[in-house]
Amino acid sequence: MAYVKWSLILAFWLIVAGFFHYTLPQVDIVRITDTYEKRENPGANSLFWSSGDAGSASGTSGRDVFFIQTRQVGDRVMVYRNEDTGWSWPPYFKFDTSNLQAEAADLRSTAADPQYVAIRHYGWRNEFLSIFPNAVSVRPVDGPDAAKPLPWVNILILTLVAAVWYGLWVRWRRFRARRIDPTLEEIQDSWEATEDAVAEKRGRLRQWWAEKRRGY
Amino acid sequence: MALARLVVIGFVVLTVVYICLSFYSRARRREKLEAAWDDDGGPGARAEFVRRGLEDYDGSLRRKLILGVYVVPTLVVALIIYFTNFA
Repeated sequence: MAYVKWSLILAFWLIVAGFFHYTLPQVDIVRITDTYEKRENPGANSLFWSSGDAGSASGTSGRDVFFIQTRQVGDRVMVYRNEDTGWSWPPYFKFDTSNLQAEAADLRSTAADPQYVAIRHYGWRNEFLSIFPNAVSVRPVDGPDAAKPLPWVNILILTLVAAVWYGLWVRWRRFRARRIDPTLEEIQDSWEATEDAVAEKRGRLRQWWAEKRRGY
Repeated sequence: MALARLVVIGFVVLTVVYICLSFYSRARRREKLEAAWDDDGGPGARAEFVRRGLEDYDGSLRRKLILGVYVVPTLVVALIIYFTNFA
């Protein structure tokens, strides 16, 4: 039974960690190689795609999505999408997709004459689901060893969430100690009292029957 | 459209938070008034003291500050929009 409880707790925290890893911003140092647009039809993976540009018609089946192709410092490639998040989730309120695409196109470079950029993004790259991280901003940096900035927003948000969770947990424990545990103990006590009463009645009944049979 | 939806949902949620905070804050003020009266042993009758203290609280700055529940998220959203799109 203990295994079930701990595995449930572990699964819960894995989901929470995954959610924050997906939604909070990260910065990569990359070299932009190309930009393009492609018609996308999000289906089973539409949870990981945004909807159309802010202000456009929604619910259309296919739409063109901007992409930014890059080569990372370790020579692996990474492709980012570039979509509005608009007024919906995640709350980046990103409306300047076309502007960002223009900036990214301007920062394209070749391996011979590289221009490295810091690209802030959220989301995951998963080839099996065909999902891409969403680029939020690009900023030119000096070189592949440029230092990434400290993730202040992430630190702030995670601290707040931890504080709220701790506050709720402490109040839950106090509530349990004050209300639920004594009630459970009362139930336990009254059950034992019932058992005692039944046993006593049975004892007296037996005594009465034995007297009847003996005749005295 | 999406902005209208966000505003409506945000307004409802923040109103719930505002109402809960208001009740909580007033209850705390009541507790403090009662404790103060118990400590000092006066002045006047307990119920009257607490009632006047709560009247003062109703007109106080502290109570108006709870409206910050509407202001702060709006400010945060505006800042995010500025830093994401224009900076």
